[in-house]
Amino acid sequence: MTDLRVKIGELVLPNPVGVASGCFGFGKDYGQLIEVNRLGALYTKAVTLEPRAGNDIPRLADTPSGMLNSIGLANPGLEGFVSEKLPEIRQFSCPVIVNIAGKTEDDYALLLEKLEELDGFDGYELNISCPNVKEGGLAFGTNPELVERLVKRLATILEKKRQKRPLIVKLSPNVTDIAAIARAAESGGATAISAINTVLGMVIDTKKRKPVLAMGSGGLSGPAIRPVGVAAVWRISRAVKIPVIGLGGIMNTDDAIQYFMAGATAIQMGTALFSRPEAPLEVIDGIKSFMEENRLNSMEEIRGLLKEA
Amino acid sequence: MKRLDREIISITEIAQDYYELVFSWDSDAGEAAQGGNAPGGVQPGGVLPRGVQPGNFVTVKAGPATDPVLRRPFAFSACDGKTASFIFQKRGRGTSWLATLSRGSPLDILGPLGNAFPAPGAGKQPVLIAGGIGLGPMLFLAARLREGALAGSHRMPLLLTGFRTAALIPERPGLIPPESVICTDDGSQGFKGTVGDWLDSAVPDSPEFYACGPVPMMAAVEKHAIIHKAKYHASVEQWMACGVGACMGCTVAMKDGSYERACKEGPIFDGYKIDWSRL
Repeated sequence: MTDLRVKIGELVLPNPVGVASGCFGFGKDYGQLIEVNRLGALYTKAVTLEPRAGNDIPRLADTPSGMLNSIGLANPGLEGFVSEKLPEIRQFSCPVIVNIAGKTEDDYALLLEKLEELDGFDGYELNISCPNVKEGGLAFGTNPELVERLVKRLATILEKKRQKRPLIVKLSPNVTDIAAIARAAESGGATAISAINTVLGMVIDTKKRKPVLAMGSGGLSGPAIRPVGVAAVWRISRAVKIPVIGLGGIMNTDDAIQYFMAGATAIQMGTALFSRPEAPLEVIDGIKSFMEENRLNSMEEIRGLLKEA
Repeated sequence: MKRLDREIISITEIAQDYYELVFSWDSDAGEAAQGGNAPGGVQPGGVLPRGVQPGNFVTVKAGPATDPVLRRPFAFSACDGKTASFIFQKRGRGTSWLATLSRGSPLDILGPLGNAFPAPGAGKQPVLIAGGIGLGPMLFLAARLREGALAGSHRMPLLLTGFRTAALIPERPGLIPPESVICTDDGSQGFKGTVGDWLDSAVPDSPEFYACGPVPMMAAVEKHAIIHKAKYHASVEQWMACGVGACMGCTVAMKDGSYERACKEGPIFDGYKIDWSRL
């Protein structure tokens, strides 16, 4: 029997394919297009304490095999999340991971404490890697000491509350040594690492002589960054013992298998949704076929297939 | 809305770098998520018809593989239940690829998406203003409003179209209704000047404005709407990623500082609320 289930801490995902934060909203919008409950996990748009309108426009640019975005964590804030989004999320039977972001350590801690009093979702993804906001986000994610301190504080809150929700720390590739950041997150008590967030990029309109995005630069995603993500997951999974959730440019089953062979326990797909909304569901089926063809029983066995370079 | 694999029925260059693409369509695609009080379409008894409405759009995969990643949005220029069409301008790499397709080519469509133009108020004269590639949704709206007018629900629409020069005016007979006003910036055909210039001289009484086109034109229409104390329904264009309201990428700036999604709250907005200086 092929078993697609994977474990992130105490949380069992029915299959390893999730949809990445920021690309799927809170799930309702895509509900008309695809069977959301078949997903291994739904990672929500980042939630912050206060509502955020997001960055100035334009926020998107087309790039070779990818796209650039600078949304700026537009979200309804904690209150809006609880009143509008959480009731929608509760309708889903698939695991839901709430992505959280803040400007300060206290922001993150307060947000987590309030969310811990609520039911209707299954875990947290800590966004310390957004390249598109000035305060918080990436400011934390590039410094191992700040990462360890923040994660430790949040992990302590979770231990007290005993919901046993996993704390997944999402890392930026825009650092010198991503493995060092991952080790810091592990030392702080992270349940798992997700990597990578978008790669800092810029497109310039030479006729207008200015950057296409209003904010100047933004986050690059899509197949263009897949090799960056695979290499990051390969390095992180050799540096830490906790599970690694791989993302970055996964468009099809073969892309996903690359991440598993590199060491990922689960994956997320984001930009692929914009090209083909049913892509994550096709990848779930594709992984199952791959395992059957190769006579594999569990997801862990895929990792073992990788030969030394 | 659904993602559908459809086929191109015809693709025709109707003016310099402007194409009309007709594709197979059927009502099983359902309605756009927004619904709305669409013009000319309210059935006896006030029941809204199912299916595509003027203002709705589709997104199209603009390449055979994963490059470009982003689908391209196009507003319906017509839809009769079995076929549908949109008009596009060959401009970037996505539309250049589309222009290479031919009859029988597969077309990856997601739609119908977005909201629809509202019906004109009682006794109002619908004035439809199209600039450049904004022509597509205006042709669809004009056709529906004509049907509605013939059924007695409102006045006959006036379609005002603006082009830079005569070479850009679609030449397919019947595409632009013969009673329309044509303006060219260089005077090579019709009224010499912009649609804004035309409006300076001759706006019918009790107008209700509908517009789609370049931002300067859209801003000019707002001025006329203010002068005539008229309603203004503006269809906006923006780069788009998901097309369904999830990603917050295609937002449009409002005068009150907020942002609205072109794909979800739009693409049709109250033209007074949009901050045209930031588009």
